[in-house]
Amino acid sequence: MAVTRGKAPQVGSDQPGQSPSALVTTTGRDLVQPIVVPNTLWSSTSATAYAGGRDSEHLHLTDLEGSDLVLRDDARWGALDVVPTKADVVLDLIRMNSLWPLLSGLACCAMEMMSAATSRNDMDRWGMFPFRASPRQADVLIVAGTLTTKMAGPLIRLWEQMPEPKWCVAMGDCTCSGGRYKRSYSTIEGIDRVMPVDVYVPGCPPRPEGLIYGMMKLQQLVKERRGQFQERAIGPNVPQDV
Amino acid sequence: MTAPSTPHQHPSADDPRILLDDSIGQFESIPPYPPRTEREAEFYTLRDGEMFINMGPQHPSTHGVLRVVLKINGEQVVDLDPVLGYLHRGVEKLCENADYHHINSQVDPLEYISSLFCEWSPVMAFEHLLDVEVPRRAEYIRVLTGELNRILSHALFMGWMALDLGGLTPILWSFIERDEIAEMLASITGQRLLFNYFRIGGVNGDINHDFMSRLGDWMSRAGAQHEANTQLLNENEIFVRRMRDLGRMDRETALRMAVTGPNLRATGTPYDVRRAHPYSVYPELEFDVPTRGHNGGDCLDRYLLRVDEVKQSLRIIDQCLHNMPDGPVMAKLPRLLRPRPGRAFAAVEGPRGMYATYAISDGTDQPFRMRIHDPSFIALQLVPLLMKDNLIADTMAVMASLDPIMGGVDK
Amino acid sequence: MDRQLRKRLEARFAERLTGPVRQRHDQTEIRIAPSDVPEVMRELHDDPAFDFQLLADLAGVDTGAHMQCVYHLWSSTTPDWLRVIADGMPRDDPRVPSLTGLWPGAEWMEREAYDMFGIIFEGNRDLRRIYMPPDYTSFPLRKDFYLPDDAARSPGGGVRHMEQSHVPTQATERVVRRTVKA
Repeated sequence: MAVTRGKAPQVGSDQPGQSPSALVTTTGRDLVQPIVVPNTLWSSTSATAYAGGRDSEHLHLTDLEGSDLVLRDDARWGALDVVPTKADVVLDLIRMNSLWPLLSGLACCAMEMMSAATSRNDMDRWGMFPFRASPRQADVLIVAGTLTTKMAGPLIRLWEQMPEPKWCVAMGDCTCSGGRYKRSYSTIEGIDRVMPVDVYVPGCPPRPEGLIYGMMKLQQLVKERRGQFQERAIGPNVPQDV
Repeated sequence: MTAPSTPHQHPSADDPRILLDDSIGQFESIPPYPPRTEREAEFYTLRDGEMFINMGPQHPSTHGVLRVVLKINGEQVVDLDPVLGYLHRGVEKLCENADYHHINSQVDPLEYISSLFCEWSPVMAFEHLLDVEVPRRAEYIRVLTGELNRILSHALFMGWMALDLGGLTPILWSFIERDEIAEMLASITGQRLLFNYFRIGGVNGDINHDFMSRLGDWMSRAGAQHEANTQLLNENEIFVRRMRDLGRMDRETALRMAVTGPNLRATGTPYDVRRAHPYSVYPELEFDVPTRGHNGGDCLDRYLLRVDEVKQSLRIIDQCLHNMPDGPVMAKLPRLLRPRPGRAFAAVEGPRGMYATYAISDGTDQPFRMRIHDPSFIALQLVPLLMKDNLIADTMAVMASLDPIMGGVDK
Repeated sequence: MDRQLRKRLEARFAERLTGPVRQRHDQTEIRIAPSDVPEVMRELHDDPAFDFQLLADLAGVDTGAHMQCVYHLWSSTTPDWLRVIADGMPRDDPRVPSLTGLWPGAEWMEREAYDMFGIIFEGNRDLRRIYMPPDYTSFPLRKDFYLPDDAARSPGGGVRHMEQSHVPTQATERVVRRTVKA
């Protein structure tokens, strides 16, 4: 087997007329250096994040509430101004009690989502029965199932097509952190790498009661207006030098 | 295709900074340019009056993330091209890095609603490699829980079949049944969906009183419940008229397309792995292999066949309960498993067809190759064949009747 | 274990077998050269004495030294599974004739073997990637495609700091290399 060092891998295995070639790698059992991707996408609002000195009560959301980002009202609300009025409270109640999920079941967790929506564990009690097929009509994107690199594009397009206000629930271990497929070559380790998540529901798959608990937490977020904020942070909570 | 958005001062809240380059979208467009194979060139050539429609990876049908590109002429589908891979998780590669005991967790989510069969087949292959004999009680428990899982899967199939055609009630009824059986299995396995129950050499734990009482309760009503559920659909005129004479397949086509399971038996071929190549304690159990070919192997035949299979599963469960022997449920095996170097192939009859594993061992504690053969993958190849000259709405009916699970298709 | 099957296979394919017919439990295995695959398969399928009508599986295997393509067949004439191994393909240019002329259902299985290993099936009209995105350039199941865990020698100890047992900020290169060599 020829050993080529420092040569670019031959590309174009799928093009017509070209023979396939695998990536030519080094022989032997050298230690493969990990590729370190600098974290330029995300910066924490708190300088002491993750590196200790932070108790568990201190949440990222608490940081944001302390800053001036959240108290400001959303500009797209138009005429409604900064101070929450009774109309806002009513709107929040309306929103939280009829969150319409988008049918975005990818894998096994979709089964438990469907089980949560059907008779025995009924999500219709909270107004969440109509699973809309079109993202234009949906409020919540419950990502249920493993997100692969091929599916990430369509899923993000779905997220972008959903009109504001919208929330995202990461259901299942695969969407929270990659789950049992964390070491795989074709999955995305947690959807918070690609979209902002409001509620994480762990489990593999989470029981329907667990998903319902997560949705009730989401309702709480909606009511307290904590779910929507402008400068949402995307990405796992890993500081730069790690 | 819009250019990737550059970060500006006040990004709106629906503008997440994404890792992905927008050029990945070019392969979601139709046609993917340039065509790479003969079939692609043939498919992506339009004649007068034809157009492409994308039934994208997210769609109201509940089978999972399958993308189908339809070439239509008005309402009629001229050709279609399924695009897979939206749920490819690299299970076979992960299995090569894992221990033999980890395989259970890795293969569970393949066909997630019939996950005991996904576990059964690799476990049988490893038992071949280790030359270990499974205790009889464990075999009976495997058959019992396996047939319960088959009923779970077929109940879901009936619900989905109706849901894809627009009926919203049967899915609710099937989920009631499904929840009961899932709770039953949760009382012995601890999990409602991805059971992780079978072990190399037996099962994880013996059945307990909670399971037996729930099972007894359920069995007393199961037959009548099943009749009631299926009566909702069997004589429903809309259902029957939509499914009759749709997607006909004959025996020769099915064998040439390497199809197994209910899709093959609906053409009249009585091939069932439990009878053709018996494993476990199936030789001691009495059950029929239902076949249906009255309508020429159409969607209605495939649906009615699965209804018959549930009845046979109830019969098997009954016999298992009566004949359950005593004894251990797990063979004595060392914790570190090093099978002999060699190759083994094990096949089980899953609710979708023959679910098989080809395992190669090189004598170490990690498998060298774990190849998983999934029946849904083979069944999806039938869709372009069966959809000739049908309407767009029939695509859903045909796909639902073949009962694919994208977790298994994409591995 | 069907001894008669072994005798019949040896009698019929004597000169095309590249190894002995092996049998274990309920499986019979023959090895042939990749170029013989279509003829052997056609004889196994068409001859009523063999009658292997069902193609159960088509898999690619990377043994590290060679590539193989492994077929499993079932017939109603014998209780055994027949495994046909087309062995000896070179790892940098594995080619084998396609079975889609005989079993059109092999098309996607061959696409999968191509996608995962790079094995070219000559005669398959649709040999493109099926699982990975179309612009992917590697073949994931080959033995020289490493997952991060492979770079270390055991499934548990990886190279990334999060897989070590100590505090992350102490994951200097020296520590990582020492842990991996252990």
